[in-house]
Amino acid sequence: MKNKIFALSTLTLALIAASPAWADPAKVIRIGVATVGTGGKPVFGGSSAATAATRGLIEEEFKKDGIKVEWNYFKGAGPAVNEALANKLLDFAWQGDLPAIVAKASGLKTKILLANGTLGTTYLAVPADSPAKKLEDLKGKKVALFKGTNGQLVVNKVLDQYGLTEKDFKLINMDTATTDAAIATKDVDGAWYGSNIFQLVDRGVARIIWSNKEGPISLTRQTHFLVTEDFEKANPEITQRVVNVLVRTAADISKPENADKVLQEWAKSGTPYSSWKKDYNGGADLKRRSSPLLDEFFYNHYRDAVQASLKFKLIRKDFDVNQWFEPKYLNQALKEQKLENFWTAYDAKGNPKGGK
Amino acid sequence: MIKRLTPIAASLLLLSTVAHAADADALQKQINELQKSLEALQAQVKEQATAKASGEAAAEYATKDELQGLTADLENYKYQVQRDQDTKTAKSTRALVVGGTVQARAGYNSLATNNAVTDNRKTSFDIPTAVLTFTGNAYKDYDEGRNLTYALRFGYSPQSTATQLLDTSNFNLLDANLTYQILPTISPDTGRLAVTFGQQLVPFGLEAAATEDLKPVINNAQFVGRLGFGQRQIGIGLSGDLWPEVDYGYNYRAPVFQYIVGLVNGNGPNKSDNNDHKDFIGRVAFTAPAEYNSWLRQLTIGASVYLGKQNLAIGADRVGQGAKDRYGIDVSYNHHPFGFTYEFVKGTDGTVSGTKAKPVFGELKSQAHTATFFYNFGEQFVKGYRAQGRYDDWWPVSYQPFARYDSFDPNTSKQNDKVNITTAGLNIFFAETTKFQLNYNRRDDQATKVKSNEWLAQFQYGF
Repeated sequence: MKNKIFALSTLTLALIAASPAWADPAKVIRIGVATVGTGGKPVFGGSSAATAATRGLIEEEFKKDGIKVEWNYFKGAGPAVNEALANKLLDFAWQGDLPAIVAKASGLKTKILLANGTLGTTYLAVPADSPAKKLEDLKGKKVALFKGTNGQLVVNKVLDQYGLTEKDFKLINMDTATTDAAIATKDVDGAWYGSNIFQLVDRGVARIIWSNKEGPISLTRQTHFLVTEDFEKANPEITQRVVNVLVRTAADISKPENADKVLQEWAKSGTPYSSWKKDYNGGADLKRRSSPLLDEFFYNHYRDAVQASLKFKLIRKDFDVNQWFEPKYLNQALKEQKLENFWTAYDAKGNPKGGK
Repeated sequence: MIKRLTPIAASLLLLSTVAHAADADALQKQINELQKSLEALQAQVKEQATAKASGEAAAEYATKDELQGLTADLENYKYQVQRDQDTKTAKSTRALVVGGTVQARAGYNSLATNNAVTDNRKTSFDIPTAVLTFTGNAYKDYDEGRNLTYALRFGYSPQSTATQLLDTSNFNLLDANLTYQILPTISPDTGRLAVTFGQQLVPFGLEAAATEDLKPVINNAQFVGRLGFGQRQIGIGLSGDLWPEVDYGYNYRAPVFQYIVGLVNGNGPNKSDNNDHKDFIGRVAFTAPAEYNSWLRQLTIGASVYLGKQNLAIGADRVGQGAKDRYGIDVSYNHHPFGFTYEFVKGTDGTVSGTKAKPVFGELKSQAHTATFFYNFGEQFVKGYRAQGRYDDWWPVSYQPFARYDSFDPNTSKQNDKVNITTAGLNIFFAETTKFQLNYNRRDDQATKVKSNEWLAQFQYGF
């Protein structure tokens, strides 16, 4: 009996001591990033969140309040961010459309605050000396894809356009670093990439045989910045200030005169300056792709993405995107910073609204 | 620019000639100042043009010096790599991973140890185990992942202190086996099937073959040692799974059905079989088909069986064979931040008494219950979280308090002979492969009616 009481007491103590990590939010803001730099470096590029992280702008904002900002860069990309969110280890996250949709469909309580890196490019590359010249040439071949990331949704949409499915290829789930090595050693016949493909192309390792750069806007991938519902409810003021910083940073990196500096900063991630330059049309696309607006295009893209995810059996449950987005912090930031008309809003089809 | 500025200067000069004579000197002075300004402007324009030209060149082209510098760097690197490979690199015939685990322990027991060589000992420093592991692939199938892998593991363990006069500790072969993936492993969506041949752990229940996250306690449950699961066996085993639940959104894979069947000698490691009967091992486990974000995640129910024969002897004389059967059921729920495991095991062992001429055969039945509850503070067990990009040697420091109740009844037909051990403890994970463990064991031996308290503090580190 004495032993049982002893065991029970230990158990009870453990449970009492257990409390969610966000219970003391005023001390730390935990941000998850669904990528890492080359070689696992804690640096990334391609968004205002990346610039804010590199420049320490959110840290600066909360320095006077003694609030620590903790950036977590996940090698496992979006799925690893989801795992951390599900275990209540993050307050904010930067990640792509598909992983966030999968998490939301499985019941994770999050709110999308702003767009943070839109119109993402996708490339299909093969080893430089491969005879493959077009997507169809890889049918039945080994093709690497980082499943669970926003690339997977684009790939499914692209294949659908060609009347193909994942099953027409030997799709191998690989993270970015493993894919780079596999293309170099020709362990795979092809691989789906983002802007980081250019460093392999420049080194003569890979060759691009398909890209969405000239394709329809529906084949692009989007990234966003989200907050957990728990944190947002408990800390609306902190949430607003984080959004304020990101909007201010987005405006800064959207200015043509800053393009060179921004791309150089993003090159710290290990993706060379030349790659960013090519991916962003020499910097000309920076303003369009850095827009934080939750415009009709963005809403519609996520609605389509949910339906496509259902179609491709990437999720099992439908949900309402309108309820998922929380634009009030973005609208407040745009108003305060007088940026309501700085970026062009796009309609559902991706055309500029009001002819702007 | 110079051409455009020259007419301006000429016009000013012309103006000066028609000006009043009294103002001639002043005008000349102004003209000189203007001339100076013009020259300064010309110099500035020239400087900017040169800077722009050289800047463009620098942005687009590498200079010969830069190329030579790069070539020198590459040559130096190649030399260093070759030199290090020749003189400072361990090599192997095939892919090889060398690893190991070492434990360093301090202990106190309220019950003193007394025997032929030990005098009233209550405290001791120990190295309970040191394991050296070599693993790798003997053949890698790039197309479908039907790989052939090997494992070789050596372990040190101290001899029993009851008889130890000298240092008779040994370093034995623990694992020596080959595993072949019969089914492709290239996609997580498909089931697995592998065959393992050689010396290996017996996959019975949870505790005997538990991974670190399911085994927070320093000492194994009593049944592991008492029913013979603490030692390796030589044989062959098939293990696999069916209907995997794959949640790519969380990089999570959980097969609904897992199975293991195998045949082993049954008489332990590093020796030939001592009879011609091969012992059978079987295990099935069902895991709730659930997504990662479901409360049912990692809820598993399993059942294991071990059916064997053991030689029976009276003194040095073999008189026949008896049963060596084990049955177990187990439940585990490892749902971060908490986890729970329960295991019930029954054993039947053949016995013999009497004389060689007139042996009397019988059976000894035993049973065990083991339940463990643990709670994690920290991110040690969140796989995706600990795989982060960081500059320093970062690792999420985690604390894991736990409680375990372990009961073993060595003879179910006899009353009051159970040994119950209640354990409370704390594990602190403070580096990637290192943890500190603190265990308090309250042992109640009903047969001897002796109760004792034991404290163990241990560092376990890997490399």
